Amino acid sequence: MVGTALPDLDVVEDTDLSAVPPSSWQTVVWNDPVNLMSYVSHVFRSYFGFDAATAERLMLSVHHDGHAVVARGPREVMEAHTQAMHDFGLWATVRKDPS
Amino acid sequence: MSDKIVVLEVSGLEALHLAGIVGQFRDIVADSRRDDDPAVARLLPDAYPDDDEATREFRRLTGDDLLGRRAADAEVVLHTLGMDGGDVRTDSDPGATLTIALGEDEALSWMRTLSAVRLVLATRLGIQSEDDHQPDDPRFGIYDWIGYRLDGLVSALDRR
Repeated sequence: MVGTALPDLDVVEDTDLSAVPPSSWQTVVWNDPVNLMSYVSHVFRSYFGFDAATAERLMLSVHHDGHAVVARGPREVMEAHTQAMHDFGLWATVRKDPS
Repeated sequence: MSDKIVVLEVSGLEALHLAGIVGQFRDIVADSRRDDDPAVARLLPDAYPDDDEATREFRRLTGDDLLGRRAADAEVVLHTLGMDGGDVRTDSDPGATLTIALGEDEALSWMRTLSAVRLVLATRLGIQSEDDHQPDDPRFGIYDWIGYRLDGLVSALDRR
């Protein structure tokens, strides 16, 4: 018996990461009547590292439009961001990019 | 020992009230029957509003740790108030001003706790819109006062 250098094609298919684009998930923060605008802006800056203008724009988007997409990427990362937002008491969800 | 980055000044009476509220909050998040409490549910929002299965799995993986961190944050607040374990000092002068110096981690524990306490109070008060406010109800006074304290803390952290 001799070994073969050929890879198992099934395995190769299973590890094809391009099947699901990694940026197809979002973390969304929703408006609520309790959290302070200053606090939400602070959380966006301190956690995501946004500059003040970006954090303010996203906070106002939550406030006026009812929600804002604060991150895009792989599902696991969006879940980690969502958990972090929950840690701050923000109403955050994970969703597949609707576009 | 971390550097102190925020100094809070609160009256003895304020400190007593705050310790009482934060102590209750800690007991709520540490209660094993907490799953039935809508105020606790607000601390654990549905991660997937359109997918109950994924929401349950997310909560199973993250919920206990999150509530554990809320309880730990509350302990930090009680400790820095000098009122650990709900053992409130009744002999202190309610008119005296307490100066509380917080390190960065302590300040973040305070911030998360004040925010979470407001969420719990809002659930208890039935606040569903920004216009829900009853000036005659003293509980709204407490809600507003904690918001004022939270806003001050955020400003202090932002100024660094």
